[in-house]
Amino acid sequence: MSSLRDKMNRLRGSSSAPPSEETAAAIAAHESQAEPAADGDQLETLSEEWSSMGVKLLHNEGGSFLMRRLVYPAQHKHGIHCIGELPGAVSGLSAFHETPVDAEQLLYLDLETTGLGVGTGNVPFMVGLAYWSGGELIVEQAVIRHPAEERAMLYYLNGKLGSYRYLVSYNGKTFDWPVMQTRFIMNGYNRKLWEPLHLDFLHPSRSIWKNTLASLRLSHVEEERLGIERIDDVPGSLAPQLYFQFLADGNPEPLRGVYQHNEIDMLSLVCLSIRFGHLLNGTVEGGFRLPMPEESEELIRTGLWLEKMGHADRAECMFEAALASNRTAASTLNMLAARDKKAGNWQRAVLLWQKALVQSVQYGTAGMNASVELAMYFEHKLKDYDSALSYVTEALELALSHPLGRRDAKRRDEIEGLRKRKERLLRKTGRKLAE
Amino acid sequence: MFKKKTLPELIEELRSNENIVNWYEMQPQEAKTTPFDDSVDPRIRSALHKRGISELYTHQGTAFRLASNAENIVAVTPTASGKTLCYNLPVLQAIAKDETSRALYLFPTKALAQDQKSELNEIIDEMGIDIKSYTYDGDTSPAIRQIVRKAGHIVITNPDMLHSAILPHHTKWVSLFENLKYIVIDELHTYRGVFGSHVANVIRRLKRICKFYGSKPTFICTSATIANPKELAEQLTGSPMRLIDDNGAPRGRKHFVFYNPPIVNVPLNIRKSATVEVNHLAKEFLKNKIQTIVFARSRVRVEIILSHIQELVKNQIGTKSIRGYRGGYLPKQRREIERGLRDGEILGVVSTNALELGVDIGQLQVCVMTGYPGSIASTWQQAGRAGRRHGEALILMVASSTPIDQYIVQNPEYFFDRNPESARINPENLIILVDHIRCAAYELPFKNTEEFGPVEVSEILEYLQEERVLHRNGDTFYWANQAFPASEISLRSASQENVVIVDQSNVADVRIIGEMDRFSAMTLLHDEAIYLHEGVQFQVEKLDWDHKKAYVREVDVEYYTDANLAVNLKVLEIDKTRSSRNGAVHQGDVAVTMIPTIFKKIKLTTFENIGSGPIHLPEQELHTRATWLELKDTDPEIGTKILEQLLLGIANVIQHIVPVMVMCDRSDVHVTSQIKAAHTGLPTIFIYDHYPGGIGLADDVFKRFDDVKQAAANLIKKCSCKDGCPSCIGNEIEGINGKQKSVQLLSML
Repeated sequence: MSSLRDKMNRLRGSSSAPPSEETAAAIAAHESQAEPAADGDQLETLSEEWSSMGVKLLHNEGGSFLMRRLVYPAQHKHGIHCIGELPGAVSGLSAFHETPVDAEQLLYLDLETTGLGVGTGNVPFMVGLAYWSGGELIVEQAVIRHPAEERAMLYYLNGKLGSYRYLVSYNGKTFDWPVMQTRFIMNGYNRKLWEPLHLDFLHPSRSIWKNTLASLRLSHVEEERLGIERIDDVPGSLAPQLYFQFLADGNPEPLRGVYQHNEIDMLSLVCLSIRFGHLLNGTVEGGFRLPMPEESEELIRTGLWLEKMGHADRAECMFEAALASNRTAASTLNMLAARDKKAGNWQRAVLLWQKALVQSVQYGTAGMNASVELAMYFEHKLKDYDSALSYVTEALELALSHPLGRRDAKRRDEIEGLRKRKERLLRKTGRKLAE
Repeated sequence: MFKKKTLPELIEELRSNENIVNWYEMQPQEAKTTPFDDSVDPRIRSALHKRGISELYTHQGTAFRLASNAENIVAVTPTASGKTLCYNLPVLQAIAKDETSRALYLFPTKALAQDQKSELNEIIDEMGIDIKSYTYDGDTSPAIRQIVRKAGHIVITNPDMLHSAILPHHTKWVSLFENLKYIVIDELHTYRGVFGSHVANVIRRLKRICKFYGSKPTFICTSATIANPKELAEQLTGSPMRLIDDNGAPRGRKHFVFYNPPIVNVPLNIRKSATVEVNHLAKEFLKNKIQTIVFARSRVRVEIILSHIQELVKNQIGTKSIRGYRGGYLPKQRREIERGLRDGEILGVVSTNALELGVDIGQLQVCVMTGYPGSIASTWQQAGRAGRRHGEALILMVASSTPIDQYIVQNPEYFFDRNPESARINPENLIILVDHIRCAAYELPFKNTEEFGPVEVSEILEYLQEERVLHRNGDTFYWANQAFPASEISLRSASQENVVIVDQSNVADVRIIGEMDRFSAMTLLHDEAIYLHEGVQFQVEKLDWDHKKAYVREVDVEYYTDANLAVNLKVLEIDKTRSSRNGAVHQGDVAVTMIPTIFKKIKLTTFENIGSGPIHLPEQELHTRATWLELKDTDPEIGTKILEQLLLGIANVIQHIVPVMVMCDRSDVHVTSQIKAAHTGLPTIFIYDHYPGGIGLADDVFKRFDDVKQAAANLIKKCSCKDGCPSCIGNEIEGINGKQKSVQLLSML
């Protein structure tokens, strides 16, 4: 063994560093540990550390794995929302797939995995599930003590999934669910064992908070918008390391923090779905009303999103509220103007562009974009070439004064386009190029 | 008025040229054909019929029969012998018969994969069957990727993509792996050395995954002429192979002519530049409207020759009809040139070995090589570009002044009588093997009894468990690490921990333009080094050794840099020894320590030394395989000083000979001499693999030492210089009969 290590070290040109004492001790500790019984051994009991976390051992045809099951009553409050708001709020979620949604059809999923990406070597060592049942929220956290227990965990999950229609997640469409699919395939399950409708709240979160929140991580969104504060939270990025530590020495203590982190993730995800449900519903019974967003960018983005989700009626008041503010950024005004342009509401679009032009900061591109739009409007819609010419001239000046203006290819193309537009307008207005 | 001459007329004229040193004539051969097998789908048959194919050449027929019978085959196919049908026919037939069938095509480069897709899709269109073939590489858009994974009947890719994108995500490719009938490996001969050793391991991983999904694909390989196609294919695929080498394609008469430019400097034995001679020879053919391909050894050389020839013939024919072709041209541009050559619109092309590979450019009449291409196999590949099925063709190899070129033209029997080189790989190189076991474990858990190639891997699995990369449970090892191993391993590079080359010429657009193994980087990417990339000069502004990054900026200077490397060798273990009267040849493990000392700036035009500077880099150690030659009882009258120079001279000759003998790049094998080797105190010459753990090159030198020795002695004897020149043992030894003494020393072994 050591000869291979020596050889590898020699070939790699590094000094022969033996494993650190800590590692060696850890390996020794692990090797002395009795291998868990292969399957269905009813006599196996969990140590005190596990039971103090509320973890139980489950057995099935695939072997055994660990389960922590928590029940939250409807009155439980998590941040500004109450878990019990869920059944009322979910009807709003029907806008996603244009199919009715019932709270008991939702399965919430959040994984803690051993690595990044959706490759075949990334293993979910903890699978967090949540579902609404009999007026309560059940959270289940399945954990494997070593890779061979995965089979039993998947067996359990496979039995569970089929009863739900919707898979609720945060980035689960591109991460959590593909990872689960990979695990099922690698354990010999049919690749089409379950085809849920996705409710992935990362996407609407991005639509609404893209520029207003510093990060779109769930832990940040919940803090800023759901009033949830985590105390002593173990960041999800540390989870793999903690799990590997457990794999090496068999001591479950470091997993306590991961359990908690995942549990809060599950609850926050439930609250996020409540929040989007309310938003789509407008109001809810019980008089709960969502506070209107404070920042105009968020107002406009929310309005645009509601419109996309088929609630154009409630979008307009968001737009009005945003316009009432004087602090609306030029880029935000352009965003709404683009929507008005598409909808044929030219009157307001022009007003918005003009406002954007006035409010644009020196180095942004919003002012330039607004001038270009105005130039196009005056040239093509009104055939007012003189006004169009003055706007395009302004756009060109703004583009050229931009500090990075001449560097990148896209910008150069834009400038070239503006020059061509200006030349054409000069011809149309009968002026000379020399100007 | 200018009267055009025909090729036979020009060939007659050439016969009296005094610089011709060898003329070899290959007799024409009639086509050998066989009718289509009855089992071939009528739709395929009619599609081929429309393309003018009503019968198969014998080798195509054999390929179809064996491959359809699930036998692994390797077909040796010279250029333009219809090799693509050897694999397309069985593959298309399998899909026509059962539309769930899938095939995977591997090409060494993206460009070849693109070519293949176009050709394949033309046939498929004419067949009128809904067969989907796609390329899958770095350029494939995410939207298409999904379709390729789910619905592609034929997936065309390269080994790098297979390694880093497909295998680690095999669960997204279930329909491919469950139904994989054929794996096609084209241009098999390119999988040699480090790259081939990596690819052999990638294929082991591929087979493991196929087994998991329950498929057992048949391999169809095609190769240029090398000495050991069957052995290479078996090593690469780990499967028994049937060799098909009964080429049935017809060919016309071919003249293979060696041209040695006249000597212009007798004392230094310097000959007229091959480039200049090539320009004039090519001009003769082009102005007579004879389609000609000129091969040059570097991208820069291609551009130089191209501009000269265009200038020389601009009055007779348009410059547009003479084009360059090399890596770095855009794919669209290359397709246009290929088409132009096929339909005759383009009369001449100057190319790097990029056109050596199986790109379809039709058949030209004349091929001119600027210098020996470096291997027999490669020479035949290039020569194959000339030669129509009927009529004559001419192949001209114009020698340069380098020792190996001179050796080849003066020993034509070496070239014509010998088998081409063997392609060597060593998939069991420990570093490469361990890397791929990591990747394989990421893809599927390992049973401790599982095989991965011919070697026992349980020891490696245990090592990786100790390293906390794998987790063992019972008899199974599971991947248990945060890393994505495939991204850390490059199939193309010589060693781990590559130095990344960062171009910061444009501050707003800092780009990575390449990478280099750390051993080469010591002498090529040190601070202030001039680094050539695609013919452009860059100066290294800073080599950040700790982070393995070299920051470069584009420059335009009149010089290049040459670094001195102090090399020290320590013998770790002797495996084999062959003693002779006054010497011995050993094979074993060595530790090479290297430290760069200074670099010189050398003027491009005159080779004057115009400056120098120190290099401050830490010493590097390389553990590798070596073969070394030891001399005992040397003539005491020679004297230490002269003996040292003689050893240096012989080492120089061996450095030239070995890459040719064992078929590898010049930089893969290093040769160094010591007047007193540390372990014995004897005069010694070391030949070692420039890759940790070795890739079988030095081992091959040991095995074939008599050939190497013979070739070295011949090179020295036949060199036309008086007593040593840069083309053989160097010219620093005067008046001591160095050539004769060198040959004597060699004969002691």
